[in-house]
Amino acid sequence: MFELLPQLIANSLITGSIYALASAGLALTFGILRILNFAHGHTMMVGAYVYFLFVVTLGFGMLAASIMTILVMLVLGIISLNIFIKPFAASSLLPFVTTVALGAILEAIIGMTFGVNVQSFSSSFASDSINLSGVFVTWLEILIVGSAILILGIMALVVHRTSLGRRIRAIAENPSAAEALGISRKKITLGAFLFSAILAAYAGILVGYETNLQPMMGNAYSIKAFAAMILGGLGNVWGTVIGAYLLGFVENLSVGLDFWGYSVPSGYKDAFSFVIILFVLLVRPQGLFGTKGRSA
Amino acid sequence: MSAFLQFLISDYVIHLAVLICIYSILSQSLNLTFGLGRLFNLAHIASCALGAYATAILSTEFLMPFWVCVPASIFLSSVFALTLGAISLRLATDYFAIGTLAFSSVITAILINWRDVTRGVLGVPGIPRPEILGIDFYQNINFLILVFAAAIFVNVVFYFIQTGSFGRSLRALAEYEEAAQALGRNTRVIRNKAFIFSSAGAGLAGSFLAYYLNYIDPSSFGFNEMVFVMTIVIVGRPGSFWGMFAATAFLVLLPEPLRFLEIPSAYLGQVRQLLQALILFGVVYWKRKSLFPEQRQV
Repeated sequence: MFELLPQLIANSLITGSIYALASAGLALTFGILRILNFAHGHTMMVGAYVYFLFVVTLGFGMLAASIMTILVMLVLGIISLNIFIKPFAASSLLPFVTTVALGAILEAIIGMTFGVNVQSFSSSFASDSINLSGVFVTWLEILIVGSAILILGIMALVVHRTSLGRRIRAIAENPSAAEALGISRKKITLGAFLFSAILAAYAGILVGYETNLQPMMGNAYSIKAFAAMILGGLGNVWGTVIGAYLLGFVENLSVGLDFWGYSVPSGYKDAFSFVIILFVLLVRPQGLFGTKGRSA
Repeated sequence: MSAFLQFLISDYVIHLAVLICIYSILSQSLNLTFGLGRLFNLAHIASCALGAYATAILSTEFLMPFWVCVPASIFLSSVFALTLGAISLRLATDYFAIGTLAFSSVITAILINWRDVTRGVLGVPGIPRPEILGIDFYQNINFLILVFAAAIFVNVVFYFIQTGSFGRSLRALAEYEEAAQALGRNTRVIRNKAFIFSSAGAGLAGSFLAYYLNYIDPSSFGFNEMVFVMTIVIVGRPGSFWGMFAATAFLVLLPEPLRFLEIPSAYLGQVRQLLQALILFGVVYWKRKSLFPEQRQV
């Protein structure tokens, strides 16, 4: 039952790191704006397609392609925030509906431009596996886990140890009081939103190298990132990151281990993780690390 | 026969009419929870999928007749609504939307993976059209009459649910929960009932969809289909009974003129999606002040 465990733990960390990168930005913007951005997964998808457009189709170097992707993400972020979110921010439900529309628009545009079929990218960096005392991983997977820890660590330092972080937390906790003290809500919101779009693109590119790309992945990753977020507690960035890793572990361990001779078929890993989430919500409607006061 | 009459009974027009009937059941039933109750129910399409699969499996594997399949579909969807309501109604708005989405994802994953029963992504082919009291509905025009009768029946039922005391209680809860509670309305029971009625309607629509298409697979009930039904309810003005008919007809017919334009067929799906998303966004932008107002506070 346990021979596979080290490999399963490695796989869980890899999946969890991708989910964490995909959902941290979503949790950060939810904390500040109090809106559910359903187009977050689609932003990931667009970022990945733009990057591969520059790298594969146009033959740019990785650095140049990254800079171009960041520029496109900035434009997309500004459009999303100012057209699809800000005019509706007074309501709690409308931004969800408008970002669903935005997601559908992005999916349709990418589908028309690149085709609806799966695109895969080969890279020796993503396919040659190395043996770490019995656990097989690729350099890409080491990059995924390493960069997730690095990026989320820097994010934690910025949010909790710098004056910028104090301003972000102030806006998240009490926007009007923070504004009265001279903190620009507009700048903080825009900054956090653009950062979250770029982080999403980075997660999307990693997914592109690790598995493949298709326009439909937007919905799937939005739902996964939401799942991590409700598991951890809405708007709680660190709870969400823990939720993302928990999802990674649940998905890989549920189908990898056999429970007393019975193992869950691998296709059920999605169902399994959503059942866990529903169970958590049944016991703790505010998520694992959410606070009760917020629920109203 | 005049050319116009010929056009009216052409397969193309009948096909669109059948779709409008099925979607009017689907949107009117979603309107009860999403519109009147302002419950952000994203699992409606899962109820529809359960209804469709119940009919598909019972009529192909067990050769069950119409009078068994349709009630079974409605029953299965209603049972689903009970579990859905029991868990998701405990959640606050934002959590509620994601919770129902999680429910819907569980159903999709089961449909894809429980291959022994659902045949997975291959879907269920060869669903026979129903036969009732010796009358067969194999021809599309006959089927249209059947589904039209069903749509009228369901819409009349929903009209009475909406305008009756139950509908008024549901509306009151959506507008001002505390006041409705103070007047002795039981929040949980009313919302659970709304879920059951709404889901039963979706199950019936799913059953007819399976009969009509003769073939169903999990991709027919994905998130984009949910967005389509949600778009109908929003365009038709949530909570409005008559608005649903106009919006259903409008949105089902909307992509049709595209067939006559010089658009490559590979792009048709995307253009349709783009158009619907732009309309959804446009309507929400235009009506942002009055659509889904927040609960009144003391």
